[in-house]
Amino acid sequence: MAETALMSAALGCYTAMGLLIWQPSARPAPHSATRRAMRATAHAGACAAAVALAAALVLHTLAIAVRWQSLGHGPFTTLYEALSSNLWSLALVFGIAWFGLRELRAGALIAWPVLALLALWLAVSDPAPGHLPATYATALLYLHALVGKLFLGLLLVAVSLALLPVLHRPAWLARRLPPLPGPARLDALAHRFAAFAFVFDSLLLVVGALWAQDAWGRWWDWDPLETWSFLTWIALALALHARASWRPAPVTFGVWLSGVFVLAFLTFFGVPFVSVSPHKGAV
Amino acid sequence: MNTAAPRLAWRRMLERASSSRAALVGLGALGAAAVLGVLTGTPVAPLFAPAAALCALQLCVALAVHRSLWRQPALLVFHLALLALAVLAALGRALSFEGRVELTEGVPLEAALVEGRAGAWHAGGTGSIAFVHDGFEIDYAPGLRRGATRNRVRWTDVHGDEQRAVIGDHHPLILDGWRFYTTPNKGYAPVLSWRPDGGATLTGAVHLPSFPMHALRQAREWPLPDGRIAWVMLDLDESPIDPRARSAFRLPGSHRLVLRMGELRAELAPGETVRVPGGALVYEELRTWMGYRVVHDPSLPWLLGLSLVAVCALAWHCARPAGGPRTLPVTARPRDGRPLRATGRGVPHG
Repeated sequence: MAETALMSAALGCYTAMGLLIWQPSARPAPHSATRRAMRATAHAGACAAAVALAAALVLHTLAIAVRWQSLGHGPFTTLYEALSSNLWSLALVFGIAWFGLRELRAGALIAWPVLALLALWLAVSDPAPGHLPATYATALLYLHALVGKLFLGLLLVAVSLALLPVLHRPAWLARRLPPLPGPARLDALAHRFAAFAFVFDSLLLVVGALWAQDAWGRWWDWDPLETWSFLTWIALALALHARASWRPAPVTFGVWLSGVFVLAFLTFFGVPFVSVSPHKGAV
Repeated sequence: MNTAAPRLAWRRMLERASSSRAALVGLGALGAAAVLGVLTGTPVAPLFAPAAALCALQLCVALAVHRSLWRQPALLVFHLALLALAVLAALGRALSFEGRVELTEGVPLEAALVEGRAGAWHAGGTGSIAFVHDGFEIDYAPGLRRGATRNRVRWTDVHGDEQRAVIGDHHPLILDGWRFYTTPNKGYAPVLSWRPDGGATLTGAVHLPSFPMHALRQAREWPLPDGRIAWVMLDLDESPIDPRARSAFRLPGSHRLVLRMGELRAELAPGETVRVPGGALVYEELRTWMGYRVVHDPSLPWLLGLSLVAVCALAWHCARPAGGPRTLPVTARPRDGRPLRATGRGVPHG
C-alpha cells in the first residue's frame, strides 16, 4: 500500500518535471525588461523542473526501499521491477548530468519521453512479486545491475546531447530553448559520454561472464540475452569507430547512438522477459 | 628492376586492410554472425569464429602498419588485450574439458562416468579426481520454483585426510583445477541387487528421470547381466515437494517400487525381495542422484585478467583529456572586432 502510494507520487513528479521543462528560456529579446522577465521565467521553470525531478527520485527511492524491505530482495526479478529500477537509475544519471552540464539543459526534452515511456509502462505492469532464483544470491548481481544502469544512463545522456541540434530545427521550438552550444563542444561531450557508456557496457559483459561461470559453469553460451548484449556492445563499438572514421555531424552520430539505445532498450526490457534463457532459473 | 612500386602498392593495400573503416567491416562481421545465429536459430559459435579470426588478423595488421596506435598507450593496451582475449578464448577451447556426470549418493566419482568434450590439447577424463556426494537439500518456493541447493560432498586430499564441504549455487567443488557444479538435473535412485542362483550378487542404482521436472514419469529400465530387462517405477503416495507451499527436495517417506519383468509384476518396499526365474531381486533402498557439470579450463583466470586489463585501458583512454586540434568553428565575431578565443575542447580523436 505504502509502496503503491509512493510510486504513484513519484510518477506524478516525473510527469510534473516533463511539463516544467517546457518553460521558455532566456533568449535574447529586443527589450531589456522582456529579456529580464524571460530569464526569470526560464530560471523559475528550470528550478521547478529540478525540484520535481529531485522529489520524484526521493519518492521513487522510498518506493523501491519499501518493496525491497517487504520482499526481502531488490528489484531484479519481474518486468515491473526492471522498469522501476531502470526508470530510477536513468532519471538519476540523467539528473546528475543535467544538473552538472549547462549544455544538457534542453536535452531533458529528448530524455524525458524515454522516462515517460518507462513510467507509463511501469504504471500498467503487474507489480506482483517474482521469485528470486538461487543463482541471484551473489554480490555479482549488484555489480552487474550497477554497471548496466550506468551504461544505459550514460548512453541516454550521450543521445540527448548529440540530438540537441534536432530540437533547434523548428523555429517555434528553438525560440523556447537555450542557445545551442557549438557543434564541436556538443560532439565532444556526446562522444565522451558514449565512450564511458562503452566502458560500462564492456564491464557489463565481463561481470555477466563471471557470474555465468559461477552460476552455470560456462562464461559464455550465446543464450538470447548474451547474444543481444553482445549485439548492443558491437553496435556501440561500430558507432564509435564510424565516428572516428567519418567524423559525422553531431546529429548523425546522435542518430547512430539512438539506434544503439533502442537495441539496448530491447535487450534490457524485451529479451529477458520473452526468452526461455538460463537467466530465469530452472526447476 | 624497380621494386619500389610493388612495395608501395603492397603497403597501400595493407594500410587499407587495416584502416579504421576496414575495422568497421570486421566489427560488422562479428555482429552479422550473431544476428545470423539469432535469425536462423543455428549455433552462433561456428559463425562467430571466422569473423573473430578476421578481426584479429585485421587488428594485427593495423598494429604493424599504423604507428598512430602506438602513440596512444591506453588504446594500444585495449586493442592488444582484445587480441590476446581472442587468442586465449580459442586456446581455451583446445585446452579445456566440458562435460557432465550423474553421481549416486554415496558412490565415488569414476572417470569413466564423465561424458563430455575434451579440447584437442586436453588429456581428457578426470584422471584420479574423486569425491562422494552425501545427499542434498534444495529449497522450493510455491509453484515449484527452485531455491538454494546445498549438496554435501567429501573427498580425500593429497595428504590422505578426508575433507568435507557443502557446494551449490555459486559454490562449485574445485579439485585440482576441475570444477564440479550442481545442476537442476537431479532425482531419485532406487538401489537394486540381483542375486543370481549360485552366482555373485550385483548391486546397482537406477537413476530415475529428473525430479520434479519429470515427476509423472518416474520409471526406467535396468538391464540384468543375462540380458533380461527389469522395469522399475517409483510409486509415491504424495509428492515430496508441495507445489502450493514452501517446500524442499527430500527423500519420500512412504513409497513403493513397482517392478515388472516379463509377466511378473511386484510392488516392493525398501528391503523386500522378489523371486524371479534364475535368482532374486532385492530393492535395497532409495537414494538420490545429482547431475554435475564438469569443467576444466586453465584459461579462465587469464581470461578474467585480460578482460579487466582491456576495460581498465578503455577507461584510461576515455578519461584522458581530449586530444586533437583545439579549435572552435567561427560562427560570429565580437562587436569590438577582437579575435575569438577557443574556450572549449576540440573534437577528440578516436
